[in-house]
Amino acid sequence: MTLRNTLLGISAIAVSAAFGAQASAQSLDYQSLSGLFGEPVTAGATGAPQRASDVPATMIIITQDDIRDAPEYDIPGILRHYAGVDSDRYMFGQGEVSIRGYNQAYAPRLLVLVNGRQVYLDHYGYTNWSAIPVQLNEIQQIEIVKGPQSALYGFNAVSGVVNIITRNPQFGEYMTGQVNVGDGGYQDASAVLGYQFSDTASLRASIGISQSNQFDAGPFGDIPGATTTENYVADLDFERFTAAAELRARVGTATDVSFEVTYSEVDSAEMFPLFFAGGSQNELYSLKGEVVSDTDFGIITARAYHNNLDVGYTTDDSLNYDDVALENEVTVFQLQDIFKVGRANTFRLGFEWRENVMTSTPDQTNGDVSYTVTAFSGMWNRQLNSDWSLTVAGRYDQLELQREGAVDPFYLYTQADYDRSIEEFSYNASLAWKVDQMSTLRLSAGRGVQAPTLIELGFTLSSAVNTPFGLMNVPFEGNPNIDPTIIDSYEIAYDRQLSPNMTLRTALFHVETSDIKGFFGSTPDWIDPTSMPPLGFTFSNQGDSSMTGFEASLEGESGPWDWYTGYTYLNVEDDLSVNQAGVTHPIMPETSTPEHRFNANLTWTGERWSAGGFFNYVSDTTMPREFAFGLPSSVDVDAFSSLSFRTGYKISENAEIALTGQNVNYGDSQAVTSGPAVETRYWLTLRASR
Amino acid sequence: MRNFLLAALAGVAIAAPASAQTTTRDIEVIGRALGFMEGVSGSDRVVAIVYDGATEAEAQELAAALDGGLSAGRVTLTGRLVPTSEVASISGAHAAVLLGGAAADASVANAVNANGAMSVSTDLSCVESGGCVMGVQSAPSVRILVNRGNAEAASVSFAAAFAMMIEEV
Repeated sequence: MTLRNTLLGISAIAVSAAFGAQASAQSLDYQSLSGLFGEPVTAGATGAPQRASDVPATMIIITQDDIRDAPEYDIPGILRHYAGVDSDRYMFGQGEVSIRGYNQAYAPRLLVLVNGRQVYLDHYGYTNWSAIPVQLNEIQQIEIVKGPQSALYGFNAVSGVVNIITRNPQFGEYMTGQVNVGDGGYQDASAVLGYQFSDTASLRASIGISQSNQFDAGPFGDIPGATTTENYVADLDFERFTAAAELRARVGTATDVSFEVTYSEVDSAEMFPLFFAGGSQNELYSLKGEVVSDTDFGIITARAYHNNLDVGYTTDDSLNYDDVALENEVTVFQLQDIFKVGRANTFRLGFEWRENVMTSTPDQTNGDVSYTVTAFSGMWNRQLNSDWSLTVAGRYDQLELQREGAVDPFYLYTQADYDRSIEEFSYNASLAWKVDQMSTLRLSAGRGVQAPTLIELGFTLSSAVNTPFGLMNVPFEGNPNIDPTIIDSYEIAYDRQLSPNMTLRTALFHVETSDIKGFFGSTPDWIDPTSMPPLGFTFSNQGDSSMTGFEASLEGESGPWDWYTGYTYLNVEDDLSVNQAGVTHPIMPETSTPEHRFNANLTWTGERWSAGGFFNYVSDTTMPREFAFGLPSSVDVDAFSSLSFRTGYKISENAEIALTGQNVNYGDSQAVTSGPAVETRYWLTLRASR
Repeated sequence: MRNFLLAALAGVAIAAPASAQTTTRDIEVIGRALGFMEGVSGSDRVVAIVYDGATEAEAQELAAALDGGLSAGRVTLTGRLVPTSEVASISGAHAAVLLGGAAADASVANAVNANGAMSVSTDLSCVESGGCVMGVQSAPSVRILVNRGNAEAASVSFAAAFAMMIEEV
C-alpha cells in the first residue's frame, strides 16, 4: 500500500464520517470527565470510556502531576516507580519495560501506543521509547493496563499495554518550554503547544532535542566481559530529535477529525536482544488520520496510520550502519463502534486491517518479507445489577505471510515456505463485584497472542563459523514456521478506597506462557552432513514458562503531601527446550525476573517550593549476556536500591527551576542489568508554561 | 490468601452512608455533568434551586455559593432560588436542583421537566421511583444516576461517552 493510497483512504473516511454524523460529543475529554468523577477516566481497558474504578482490568493511570514530579527524563524512568512494572535501564536512552516480569533488552511483551497509534516496532517486536515522538510536557496521562489485552489491541499486547494520551488543545490551550542541563553531557530542550484557531479547530505541536554521554563508569563503559570493540560502540552518545504536529477540527457538533504527522531520529548505543552492545541509527516518521463521531449508532472511530522506520545497526568500531539495515513499513486501518443497548449493556465492535513489510535484511537480496492481518473483535460489558458487572471481549486475527522474491538456495527456507497463514483467537473476561461503594473485587482471565516478528520470520544472514566441518559460511535465518507465543493469564484483584484520600490496590495472578520465541544460540538448529551448508541456525520456539505473582500498592494524599508505595512479588518457573546443559541461548526468564520489587515515593508541594524523594529496590537476578557474537552466557546482578529526588522552586506563576538527582546512591557505577553499569546523574530544569 | 479474603469481606461491613443534604460539592458535580448535556451551547448554565420551607436555609447557602458564578469544568454555573410554589416559572434554567420535600413530590419534578429544565436531586429515590432525571452523590465517591424514561420525557440527552460512564435506570 503506498503512502498516497493511505492518505486517500484517510480522506475518504473523514468525508464519509462527517456527512454521517448527528448528535453531539466527540473525543474523550479526559480533563473534564476526571474532574467530574473525581478520578481518572480511560478508554484503555475495553475501548469504551470508563472511570478508573470501573475498568475490568488492573490499571495504573499516571497523571500530568505525577510526570512532572518524577525524577526522570524519560517514560521508562517514570514507569519504574509503579507496582507490577519491570523497568530496567540498559543505556542512557534505552529503558526497557515489561509488566510483571519477563523483561529483557528489546522487551517484546508490552504493546505501546500514542493516542491509539502503535509505536511498538513490529519488525523486531519491541518499543524504542526514545523514538516515541512525544514530550513529557504534552502528556495528559499514561495508562498502563496489566495482563494480556490482545482481545482489544491485537497481537503483542501480552503482558500489558501502555497508552500515552496527549493533551487535547480542543479542551484548553497550553504552551510549555523546558530546558534540562546536567552532568554526563546531558542537554535537553523541548517545546509543546496546544493552540485553538477557533472554537472548532486546534493544533497540537511539539519538538524536542536531547543528547547525552552514555554511562561511562569504567574505562570502556564497564560492561561485564566486553571487548574493546564492544565497549567502544557501547559508549556511543545518545542523540534524539523528535517533532509532532496534529491538526484537529470539529465538524458540526458531532464529529472530530484529526491529522497527525510525526518524525523521530535517535542515534545511540544499545543492548541488543542477543544481549551484546552495539549502535543503532533510527529514523522514523508516521502519518495518522482519525475521525471520531457520535452518531445515533454509537461512537464510531475510524483511524488509519502509516509508520515508517529506517534503521541501521553496527557492532564494530567502523560504525558502518549499512551492515545491518532495514526499512519497515506498517499501515493500519481500524474501524470501531461503541454503543449502548438498553440501560446496562455496552458493546464494542471492531475491525482492523494491517500490512507490515520489512526489506530483506541483513542479506538484502532475498525479497521483502511481509504479512497482512485481518481482525474482527467485539466486547460486551453488562451491568448485571448495581453491584455486579461482567465484561467479555474476543478477537480473531488472521495473518497471511509472504516473501516477495526468491530466497538464495543457500538458506534452508524457500520463498514457498513463506506462504503461510496464522489464525489466532484471543479473549478477555472479567467479573467485577462492587463490595461496597469503596471497594471492588475482580476476577479476570485473558489470552494474549505474541505474533512472530518479521525478523524472527524473515532474517537472512550468511556468516563464517567454525564448525565440525571446518570454517565455513552458514546461514543464520528467520523461521517462517515459528509459532506465536501464547500467554494465558488468571487474576483476582481487590481495590479499596480506605479513605477519601487513600487507596489500596492488590492483585494475585498466574500467567502461563507457551511457545516462547527466541534467538538462535551457540548450537545449530539443524545439521545435515549431506547438504551444503551442512548446518544452520534459526529462530525457534524454545519452550514454556509460568509465573505466579502478587502486587500491592497503597497511595494517598494529605494536604501538600502525596505518597505512593508498591510491592511486587514474581515467581517465574521455566520449562525451556533450550539451555538444558549450560547457557546456549540468550533466554532465561526464571532467573532474569527479580522476585521482589519495592517502590516508595513521597512528594510535597508548597506555594513556591516542591520536593520529592523516590526509592526503588530490585532483588538479585541472573541475566543473559553474550560475551561474543553467538556465545551466550549469564551475568549475576546483585540486589540494588536507588534513591532519587527532585526539588523545584516557582520563580513566578508560570516558571519553575528544579534540581533532579537520579540514583544519587549509585555514584560512578551500579550494575542493574547485564549491560553497562548505571551512574548517578544530576540535572537542572528550567520550565516555563502558560 | 486467607488474609486477603478477610480483607475483602471486611470491606462489606464498612459501607459509607449517603449524603442527605445537598452540598456545594454536589452542585459542582451537577454543573460538570451539565457540560455533557446535548443541545446546549456556550459555557453558561443556570441552575434553579427549588426549595420548600424546610430547606430554605440550605437553598440560601447554595445560592450564596453560586453567587457571581461557580466554575465547574466546562461550564460556569449561576443560581436562582425558586420556591416550590413557583416552580411553574422555572423556564430559562438548564437544570433544577430539588431540595428536601421538593424531591419527594413527583409533581415538582414533572413541572420542572415540563418547563424545559432537567430535574436533579441528591435523593436518589427521586430518580429511581420519582420524576427526577438525574441523581447525584458526590461523597464518598461520585455517583450519577439517570432515569432514562424521565430523560426522554424531558427531552434531555447526554454525550454518548458520558452516558457510558453513569448508571441508568
